[in-house]
Parts: sequence; structure tokens; C-alpha cells
Amino acid sequence: MTQNATLTPPTSGGLAPDTDTPRRRPRRWLAGTLKAIAGMFFVVLALFPLAWMVIAGFKTKTEVVRTPFQFFPEVWNTENYTQILADPVFLRSLGVTALGAVLFTLLSLTVNSMAAYAFARLEFQLKRTLWVVVITTMFIPGMTILLTSFIMVTKLQMLDTLAVLVLPGAAAAIHVFFIRQFYLNVPRSLEEAALIDGCGRWGVYLRIFLPMSKAPFVVVGVTSFLTFWNSYVWPIMTITSPELYQIQQYLAAFRSERSSELGMLMAGSALAAAPVVLVFLVFQRQIIANIKMAGLK
Amino acid sequence: MARGRTPTYQVANSNKKRYPDNVMAYVMIAPIVIMLGIFVIYPAIQATVLSFYDWSFYEESEFVGVKNFTDVLTDPKFRASILLGLQFVAMTLPIQLIGAFLFASLATAVNRRFADVLKVSIYIPTIISGVITSVIFTIIYDYSGGILNAVLGSLDLPGQAWLGDPKLALAAIAAPAVWLGMGLTCLIMIAGMLDIPASFYESADVEGANWWQKTIYITIPQLKNVLLYLIITGFVASIQQFELPLIMTSGGPMSSTELPNLFIFNHFRGDPYVGYSIAAALLLFVVLGSVSALIFRVLNSEKLVD
Repeated sequence: MTQNATLTPPTSGGLAPDTDTPRRRPRRWLAGTLKAIAGMFFVVLALFPLAWMVIAGFKTKTEVVRTPFQFFPEVWNTENYTQILADPVFLRSLGVTALGAVLFTLLSLTVNSMAAYAFARLEFQLKRTLWVVVITTMFIPGMTILLTSFIMVTKLQMLDTLAVLVLPGAAAAIHVFFIRQFYLNVPRSLEEAALIDGCGRWGVYLRIFLPMSKAPFVVVGVTSFLTFWNSYVWPIMTITSPELYQIQQYLAAFRSERSSELGMLMAGSALAAAPVVLVFLVFQRQIIANIKMAGLK
Repeated sequence: MARGRTPTYQVANSNKKRYPDNVMAYVMIAPIVIMLGIFVIYPAIQATVLSFYDWSFYEESEFVGVKNFTDVLTDPKFRASILLGLQFVAMTLPIQLIGAFLFASLATAVNRRFADVLKVSIYIPTIISGVITSVIFTIIYDYSGGILNAVLGSLDLPGQAWLGDPKLALAAIAAPAVWLGMGLTCLIMIAGMLDIPASFYESADVEGANWWQKTIYITIPQLKNVLLYLIITGFVASIQQFELPLIMTSGGPMSSTELPNLFIFNHFRGDPYVGYSIAAALLLFVVLGSVSALIFRVLNSEKLVD
């Protein structure tokens, strides 16, 4: 991708009003084409498995893994999609997961942003101690406490309830940390003016900080939503009744119990992936803009 | 921000003056402290305690000292899983880093609209669940109808039982792991590259440096911190992978995909005495948790504690 700055006088007579020299034009064209090809390569690599899943959903059950391999179905039939949507357990698990994900997201935003505000803006006696305690929890891997958390929710008689899915992961130090970084940068003068005007601390939090929190809330909210929607290990440990089946749990069970229905499995997976892809596409600009190296600078 | 010791001459209600928001603050952090306390801190303490006991759901527990830990450390199966974990890291991390580097070089060299398309596409796999990824890749690896063997067949090469062959299974799980993990690595790499001052490249251009020279002498040295960060977080994340092998192979064939966390998880489910599993999990935590804590401390040394 070298670009030699060879200076030759511009030639006239070309139709395109560009200032490129004749020597540079083919080179730039070549570099551009190479970049486009390389870009397409990455895009295909990233999206192929998903495209393939969606397309496999339109194949009959034997066609999905038929030899010789075929990318497109012979006949596009929507049977798999309609059949899986007709399965009440599938629909209910989509619904229950969506409900849980929304509750989880709301709880996560509330709990973590309140703590973030307190740690960013309030002075209290045990602030440093509690901050260290909260931050330390960030480094405890899930596997270490998987079993003892399970013992805990068993003791609390939370097994097989929506609460066991929603409550345990909602408070997360990493989210507190992220929102707090944002709150630290809100100008103090705004807050002081409101306090002088008689607005209490709650008022400051509710009327000044919350309305300004769109950017961190999108990131934390979408992350929470995705985490909940995609979680598999915790649901298989804590949920046994089909009424509360989570969508990933449903898919994994379908995969092992009805292994011949590959078309339906692919259709179900595509439908289960659709909501998270949609959520991401709606908020992608904020998400991508916010993925910077936290604290690397 | 009031810090430092309270001078002794201050009046009795100095606390109220120094911390006017005490009540408010405790109300606001109570939910998170209670929730973390119940679901993270207490379980962590309990895990530490249980690791010294022969504990099961069904019997009285018995204090056994460090026996669980010595059992874990001398267990050839646990060591094998650690080695497997390192092998898995060696299969995923270099590809991820080099791929992300190339991707980021490309994404920072094209026009904005194309760069946006690239970034969104590369990030989409990251939001797909482990279960769905496993479903897709299991079918890609299917012996008779999968696309991979179809490609081999068209080259006149024999098909492989990707997930059934102990020699291939780990690599077959590394591919979806890279596919899932690539997005974040790429975006962090792009952010790092965009931070390098354009003037560095301009002066290199003036001196006639080519792309390769600019990469070696400017990009990589300037990305040192970002690369270090990605290597360590990538290592920690990769060695802890267990959902993909859990769903795709359950650790088989012949334990060839039983990564450390999956080993522990399978132990949890199979062995009524959990002291061993918890001790193993704690050992991993001590190593990996402190590595990430250390990195976090170094990177955030000023922001961590006010």
C-alpha cells in the first residue's frame, strides 16, 4: 500500500475532473480494489455462519446436511420457521427470556447507576472501603462462585423462579465503574446550582444525571440485555420447569432431543438471534463509539 | 473531596459536616452492596471456606485442611486440562491478534462509510450466544454434509470428523471461539490505531517509508499498551472458555476439549464432594483474577481509588 508522491504535471483532457496524475491513478485504483477485496473477505468471514444459519432454516431437515453440499435450498420453504413458531414452548421461552431480559436490564441500570452516582459525587464515611470492595468483585470469575451461588439461591428458595435469573447478575461492578467514569466528568457547577436552588441529592440524580446518562446507559443496557439473553449455564442449573425455559436452554435441549430436525433447529436459532442483532443494529453507533480502552489512555 | 485525617480539635459532629451526604449515599449504594453481598461476596467467602472441607449436599462436612488443594495440584487430569487450556490459547490468541491488527489497519485506511460497515460486521458475531454458535459450527463440521468437508472434497482431500477426532477437536472449537471474540479485539485495536498522531505517519511519508516500515517503526511501538492489554485480557478470556466445548463436545472425545473451566464444571456435576472442584476453581481464580486485577490496577492506577 505504498503511495509514492511522484510529482508529474497534471494532464488535461481526461473526462473526470480529478487532479490525479496518470501514474498515480492506476496505483490508487489498485490499492482501492485490494482494500475493497480485503474488506469483503472480513465481512464474509464474519457474516457467513449467520447467513448460512438463516438459509439453512429454509431447507428441509435432510437437506441441511446433505451430500453433496449445497448452500441454497432447492426449494425455499418456510415450513421450519412456521413450525417452530407454532411450538408453544419455543414461543413461551422467547417471551419469558424477553421479559427477564427487560427486567434484568432495568434493574441493572437502576442499581448500578445509583451506586455510580454515589461513588462519583457523594462524600461518605466508608466510601473508599466500599469502593475497593465493589471493584474487587469484578475479578471473581463466575466459575469460582458458580456452585456456592447455586447453594445460596437454593437456600433462598429461588430455584425455578424468574428471580433466580434476574437478581444474581444485575449488580455488576464493571457497570458501576463504567457509569461512574461518565459521572465524574459531569461539571460540578451544574450540580451546585441545582443544590443551591433547593434541589435535593435525589433531585440532582433524577433531574440532572439521569437525563444526561443516555450514552453510558445504552452501553450498559445493551450489554445487560445481551448477557441475559445469551446466558445458558446459569439457566440450566437453576431452571427446570418448561414454563420458565430460557431461549438458549430451549435451543440446547432441542439440539440434543430432536437432533434430526436440523432445519427447525436452524430456524429457531435464527429467530432467537434476531432480537439481539436488532438491538445491536439500533444502538451500534453508541456501542462502537464507546468501545475504547477503558483507562488505557 | 475531603480527605486526610480529621484534626483533633474539631467538634463532635465533625462527621456530619465532613459527610453531609452519608444517609443519602448509603441509601443509594445499599442495593448494590446487598446484591453483591448475597450473590458474589458471600458465595466467594463460602467457596474459600468450603475448599478446606469435604463438603457435599448430602452429608456432614469434614475439615480436611489443604487436602483438596494438594489433590488438585497432583491430579494429572487437572494438569492436563491446564495444558489443554494453554494449547487453546495458543490456537486462538495469535490468530485473533494478527487478524485484528490486519483488520484495524484496513478499517483505518478506508473511507468512513466502508469503515462503519466493517466495524458493524466484525462485531455482530460477538453478540451471538455460545449455544447458537455451537449449533451453527456443529453443522459446518458435519462429517457428510458440512461445508468444511465439502471444501476438502472439492480439493480431493478426505473428509475429517472435526469434532470426533481427538487431534482435531480442540482446533475445531478454537475457530468459533475466534469468530466470537474477534469483534471486541478489532474495535479496541482500531481505537488504539486512531490514537496514533497522524503527524508520525506524515513525517514517515516524507522520508519515503513504506507500509511495512511504518508498521514496524510506528504502529506497533505506539500500540504497545493496547497490545499488552489485548494479550492479557485475551489470555484470561480464552483460557476460561468453556461454553463452546460444553455444548459442542462436552469435553470429549477422550477429554481432548476439556478446558480447565469445563473440567471443573464437569466435576461439579459428577462429584458429590465439591471441595475438590471449588479448590480447583479457587486456584484458577487466584492466578487469573490476580493477573487481571494487576492489569486493571496498572492501567487505572489513578482512577481506581479517588
